[in-house]
Amino acid sequence: MQGGSSGIGYGLKYQARCISDVKADTDHTSFLTGTLSLREENEVHLIRLSSGGTELICEGLFSHPNEIWDLASCPFDQRIFSTVFSTGESYGAAIWQIPELYGQLNSPQLERIASLDAHARKINCVLWWPSGRHDKLISIDDENLFLWTLDCSKKTAQVQSKQSSGMLHYLSGGAWDPHDINAVATTCESSVQFWDLRTMKKTNAVERAHIRNANYDMKNNHILVTAEDESGIHIWDLRKPKSPVKELPGHTHWTWAVSCNPEYDGLILSAGTDSTVNLWLAPTSAEEEATSESIAEPPAQRADPLLNSYSDYEDSVYGLAWSSREPWMFASLSYDGRVVVESVRPFLSRR
Amino acid sequence: METDDVPLDDKAKRMRDLLSSFYAPDPSSTENAPSNPGTLDAINTTSFDADQYMNLLIQKSNLEALLQRHVEMAAEIKNIDTDLQMLVYENYNKFISATDAIKRMKTNIVGMEANMEQLLDKIMSVQSKSDGVNTSLFEKRERVEKLHRTRNLLRKVQFIYDLPARLEKCIEAEAYVDAVKFYTGAMPIFKAYGDSSFHDCKQASEEAIAVIVKNLQGKLFSDSESIQSRAEAAVLLKQLDFPVDSLQVKLLEKLEQSLGDLQLKTNDIENASMESNDPKQGKVSDSVHITAHEGSVRGFAEAISAYRVIFPESEEQLIKLVQDVVVKNFETTEQYVKGRISSANLLCVLRTIWTDVLLMDEVLSEAVLPVFSLEAAQIALKQHVASSFNYLLQDISDALLRVNVSSKEAAEEHPLQVALEASKKAVLQGSMDVLLDFRQLLDDDLQLLVQLRDFIIDWVQEGFQDFFRALYDRFLLLSGRNSSSRQDQGLTGAHGEKVLAGLVLVLAQLSVFIEQTVIPRITEEIAASFSGGGARGCENGPAFVPGVICRIFRSAGERLLHHYINMRTQKVSTLLRKRFTTPNWVKHKEPREVHMFVDLFLQELKESASEVKQILPQGLARKHRRSDSNGSTASSRSNQLRDDKMTRSNTQRARSQLLETHLAKLFKQKVEIFTKVEYTQESVVTTTVKLCLKSLQEFVRLQTFNRSGFQQIQLDIQFLRTPLKETVEDEAAVDFLLDEVIVAASERCLDPIPLEPPILDRLIQAKLAKWKEQNLISP
Repeated sequence: MQGGSSGIGYGLKYQARCISDVKADTDHTSFLTGTLSLREENEVHLIRLSSGGTELICEGLFSHPNEIWDLASCPFDQRIFSTVFSTGESYGAAIWQIPELYGQLNSPQLERIASLDAHARKINCVLWWPSGRHDKLISIDDENLFLWTLDCSKKTAQVQSKQSSGMLHYLSGGAWDPHDINAVATTCESSVQFWDLRTMKKTNAVERAHIRNANYDMKNNHILVTAEDESGIHIWDLRKPKSPVKELPGHTHWTWAVSCNPEYDGLILSAGTDSTVNLWLAPTSAEEEATSESIAEPPAQRADPLLNSYSDYEDSVYGLAWSSREPWMFASLSYDGRVVVESVRPFLSRR
Repeated sequence: METDDVPLDDKAKRMRDLLSSFYAPDPSSTENAPSNPGTLDAINTTSFDADQYMNLLIQKSNLEALLQRHVEMAAEIKNIDTDLQMLVYENYNKFISATDAIKRMKTNIVGMEANMEQLLDKIMSVQSKSDGVNTSLFEKRERVEKLHRTRNLLRKVQFIYDLPARLEKCIEAEAYVDAVKFYTGAMPIFKAYGDSSFHDCKQASEEAIAVIVKNLQGKLFSDSESIQSRAEAAVLLKQLDFPVDSLQVKLLEKLEQSLGDLQLKTNDIENASMESNDPKQGKVSDSVHITAHEGSVRGFAEAISAYRVIFPESEEQLIKLVQDVVVKNFETTEQYVKGRISSANLLCVLRTIWTDVLLMDEVLSEAVLPVFSLEAAQIALKQHVASSFNYLLQDISDALLRVNVSSKEAAEEHPLQVALEASKKAVLQGSMDVLLDFRQLLDDDLQLLVQLRDFIIDWVQEGFQDFFRALYDRFLLLSGRNSSSRQDQGLTGAHGEKVLAGLVLVLAQLSVFIEQTVIPRITEEIAASFSGGGARGCENGPAFVPGVICRIFRSAGERLLHHYINMRTQKVSTLLRKRFTTPNWVKHKEPREVHMFVDLFLQELKESASEVKQILPQGLARKHRRSDSNGSTASSRSNQLRDDKMTRSNTQRARSQLLETHLAKLFKQKVEIFTKVEYTQESVVTTTVKLCLKSLQEFVRLQTFNRSGFQQIQLDIQFLRTPLKETVEDEAAVDFLLDEVIVAASERCLDPIPLEPPILDRLIQAKLAKWKEQNLISP
């Protein structure tokens, strides 16, 4: 399984799009990933990095009824996760619990805690509040934003509130502010919108076309990183939504996913459809004022923000996750179903 | 011998001491130091205590030493005795000789008194005789003195009476100096007696003096008089207590008035430059103008020198006046420089000013006019350099922006090409012109400029550096990268954006041109004629760093090219997004013809290709080599895949197909989809196509298709192969990407059964025929 330069590889049977860090597992560095196969039986893999850090071990392999378009691990219970799935014609979302049958690889059944079945449209993603225990969930479909109250013990999920994004705004994804339990950003075709969950009203918007993915900086409040199809990565200070604080060139083709390191300031990963994962260093707090010159200045005089480009992938990379337990590790997932866990340690020393 | 010597010496010394102590008035002074009675040396002091001494001696010495001491002491006592005897004898001797001397004196003094009395008598008689002579001569002498005094007085009175006549004479002879001298000489008398006895006289001479003053004033103001005589006149007037200050002010005013003529007028400059532009006519009138100007300056200089001689203490005012002139001249020049002028014109102006300055400097070197005007010229020149570059920048961006205008008019066939050529020319020719222009400044031997040579070189170098930086900024601004205007322009409509995209391409190519042609040329030119400088100081290095500029423009070129490709692909992306998000693919109907988005896509490509063709050079027959090198494996694979799809048609096949894809990927060399973009038509078009196809693949992957949806995609993609092959350099990669799209669609299909080949063929042929027909008409 050892493929490529430094990364530790793991192969899924089918194509896959999503991978998630199991944040609640404090003893191991583990990731959850689910396959995307229209016609085959799909699987959810629980992968754990061996204690030596040299191998990826499959800790659990569970069959999943449909192809998985989105997967998110519950940040306070390592056995719970959410998926968004599709049967080809219809979409669904559910909360699952891993049965306590660790170590057995005979595809035990996942326990469905709740179905988020209030959606009528194509569901895009389910969000957990990333910073701790919170009994609310957010699910986003093409047109609506749902806030759910989840009760794991009673195994119920109820819609607490719902808000339509408005005409002509097709939502494509979102991110929950780790600093503010009531703030959620959603991406749509022409902008990023910000919602207050108490009132379910729009509070702010960043006008920007074709945003694929958005990610809040875990360390710095007000900082949001967005990935766009053609124009790379932008870092926004939400107090100044008119223009980005910083621009990174992104990828040769689309920049699909972007993720801020939970521990190291300004360390950003991006995954692109040009089959690469790029590691960027773009500290925002120190030089906010330098944005206007950042383009005018000759590039030779500025340190290259690109620390490394991992290019050992065969297909587009859609899945990307930092490990919260070992924040110098990250897992990436390319469409051909290959998980690669890499360490960014060699690049941290340069800071 | 030695043993004899030492006591002898001692003896003589002691003798002397004894004698001196004997004659010394104060016995205490013989003691050279207050001696300590506690030591054995205290024997020769007044405070000598015999008992103590004995005790000390006994205490300190042993018997032998005591005996020794005893012998010594006995000898010493004997010595002292003989000394004493000798002293007494000598004293006695002296006394006897003194008595003898006194006796002799007494006998000598007895006859002196009588001689003295005789002397006194004789002196008395001499005195009485001299008194007699004196009294007999006194009277006569008194009279002589009185007569002399009267005569002097009479002479003075005569002078006063003659004064008016004399003054008249002086006036006639114009001997004003004498006249003033006489008058001032007579002044005290007039003051004392003017009201009484010499009244008439005074009046007459005052009248004469008034005439003199008037004459002198006239002389002072008349320019025809020599400076010397005018100066004299001023001095005389001053001696006559005439208020000179007011005269000075008046003269100064006169000078100031003449200044007005001296100032260069903007009109004059323009005239001069206009004329100098027209060499035939200009020469004559220019020289006329210049001589006229020079004449007036010369006059002014003379006036100043005269003034200075006349009023030596008025330097400060003059300096101020002169500096004013220079400042005003430079102000006009600066005003003038702000406009668009050539260095020749500037040179002409500077030369005029400099001649003026030199002329004035001759007469008033204290004003340090050369230094002063050097500074002013420095400012003016710097401004000139800066404004030259500004205009150059303006020219270039004008040339670039003409793209928009001309393509809107749609009069020209290749607006981009025209714009590129125009802007290339603007950049190269413009900068060469500017350099040439500045060279004139350097080549001129005007002293002013020679001194500023280093500065000029630095300014020119700095100017180029800044100019290119500014140009780079301008490029970014024009390309819309620098602002959020891109979004707005996207909204204003396809037309506006299209023009902008072309402009970006032009800018990219222009950047390359600047990097590869303009900078080396300029570097060469600068090295040839603008080397040196260094007034800036060594630590900064030369002001113009071609390496940095080259780097800037190289990266700018790449960025702009990428930006262009991005803009193009973005448009296609929007098209594709619409295509893939609008229909419900799961409920797609059977394909009847190739979907129209393909037409739009090809249309976009064609537009891009036409733009690219205008701007970029053709690649060097890459097409064949590339497809030879890695095209074989990929295309054979894709053919096989296609064959598979044609023959087999069931759902189980999909899995093996996926496996096959993976296997194929493992065994074949990775097709590099994203290669480096080069500045060739093919490279840019190919990159655009590749990016678009990749986007297509990504869009397909996001959808789920039913059989008909899949077949539609299959049909569209199969159709695309032919026209794309014609436009694209890297066939292998494009083929691969097209295959990938079909594979992606089949993977995302619920029921991946491809179209039957005959139907597929028929539909494609129909579409191809239509497309070719269109293609024949449109170009």
